[in-house]
Amino acid sequence: MKKYEEDLNFRGEEYVSEWTPWSPQDIRRKKGVLESARMMLNSALTAPFAGGVPSTEAHIVYGQEELEAIARKMEEIAHRKKAWKEPFLYEAVMVRDSDVILFIGNTRCHETALDAGCGLCGGGMDCSYFYEQKTHRNGLVDITDRSSETQIKGPLCTARVNDMGYAVGSALWTAHTLMVDARPFASVGMAGQELGYCRNSGMIVGVPVAAKAKNPYVDVNVDYHLINMDKVLDNTRKIYQTARIIRGFDYRKWIPKPKKTDEEG
Amino acid sequence: MGHLIGMKYCQEHVLEVAKNIVLAVHKAPQITGKTEIETEIIWGEDLEPIIEVMGPIAQVMRYVQWDYETLKNCYEKGENPVIVAVGAKTAKSNLAWDCGACGFATCKEFNAYAKDTRGGGQLGGPSCNWKTLDYSIACDWACASAWQYRVDNRIMGSVGFALLALGFMPDMDVKLGLALGPPRDMVYYSREEMHKSMSYELDKQDMINCVPTMFTAFPGGGTPMYKTKDEWWAPPEFMGMGYSPEAMEVMQQVLFEQVPEIVVKHADKIEARYKKGKKKE
Repeated sequence: MKKYEEDLNFRGEEYVSEWTPWSPQDIRRKKGVLESARMMLNSALTAPFAGGVPSTEAHIVYGQEELEAIARKMEEIAHRKKAWKEPFLYEAVMVRDSDVILFIGNTRCHETALDAGCGLCGGGMDCSYFYEQKTHRNGLVDITDRSSETQIKGPLCTARVNDMGYAVGSALWTAHTLMVDARPFASVGMAGQELGYCRNSGMIVGVPVAAKAKNPYVDVNVDYHLINMDKVLDNTRKIYQTARIIRGFDYRKWIPKPKKTDEEG
Repeated sequence: MGHLIGMKYCQEHVLEVAKNIVLAVHKAPQITGKTEIETEIIWGEDLEPIIEVMGPIAQVMRYVQWDYETLKNCYEKGENPVIVAVGAKTAKSNLAWDCGACGFATCKEFNAYAKDTRGGGQLGGPSCNWKTLDYSIACDWACASAWQYRVDNRIMGSVGFALLALGFMPDMDVKLGLALGPPRDMVYYSREEMHKSMSYELDKQDMINCVPTMFTAFPGGGTPMYKTKDEWWAPPEFMGMGYSPEAMEVMQQVLFEQVPEIVVKHADKIEARYKKGKKKE
């Protein structure tokens, strides 16, 4: 009966605006994006997979501290490799500008390979390229040694990686259908893996999601890690304050007025 | 003014949907933004070599058998199935990420290895895994797009093998085929086309072979018997393991004799199309 009474009281209003960031009205907006991310995940789970085998795990992450931790980890990774530095630093800004981060990982690509001899991993006629480089007994891969000299501990079963692409693709398709902005990023996936998201996966793709006036993932300027909305706003705080300080007057007594021209009389 | 009756125009329209799907494939988002992707649309008589190559493989691979029979029967019935072929350049990395996912410490070492082994696998390979992700996102967009148009479809490795063997999209390292249409429910799922070759006995034997634990009796003795018939009291059967020269021989024969024989028949004609320029453009 309690539920019925609640239903009678079904009324209310929600003010939603992306300005100012992290205000109640902005957080209400983010909640809508969270629902979208959940639906994107549904799509990821129903994507086609080789042999119909489930191998997708996912994390949905949101909140200012959580996103900041991901962005900082990306910045750390960015400085490890010349080819990563600028793009990954740019993408860290995009993560801070996102509402929700969706991590999609594949739990089988490093451990339980497809074993179909497709050759995608190493170009051979069987799965030996994968197994020769793995610690295994009778084809059962021992993943307990998680140390790796490379960012990703390869080789991976590329047929499983291919499956992960299907999952990511379906998530992105749904994002497009729902008209929320989303992009797949290697950098976000690598950061997520180091932070322990989708920890049963051998490889992770990060998909930040946002619903803002400006798509955070396109149309960036050069040095985007140095010049972006956060920095511009902070720059305004820095410059404008000083601009005020250098000209003080008692507005209660006198306010300077524009000079009158002759025409105005 | 007009009046369309029957299914023929509808079956022909699948080709137009295929073109729309190709738009989606090329619009698909990429992680690297550096993966080359090609598409082709294949239908009508041009399907014949693909179906023919799948024939011998169908004898040794159950999933290929169902793909083969479905495509063949639909084609022969005049239902106009269409294949959207999607390929990508994945056997060379221009990323310089050195991420290690491929098994090599650097992209340079991977590229050196891939130069010698390119296309050696049944579906191509070796692969840069990030480029594979770009590729499979594009393939997934083909599937999602087809569903959006409500045309039955299935992304097929079996067709991919045929495309690779026959030399379709010669510049691409990995190939898959999206089988599209005919416009009706359940073409590629719960397949009616399988009814002709499927029997209870065949299905039961497949399940015993593939999921033996379902049939295992009390394992405490160490060599359990298998419950393979209704008569519990009949002489029990046991599972054995061993190298099968017959199975291996059939596989070798299929891959290295029967498939090449078919490929030779069609290869020149297919190759000639790429010399003249992109097919059907």
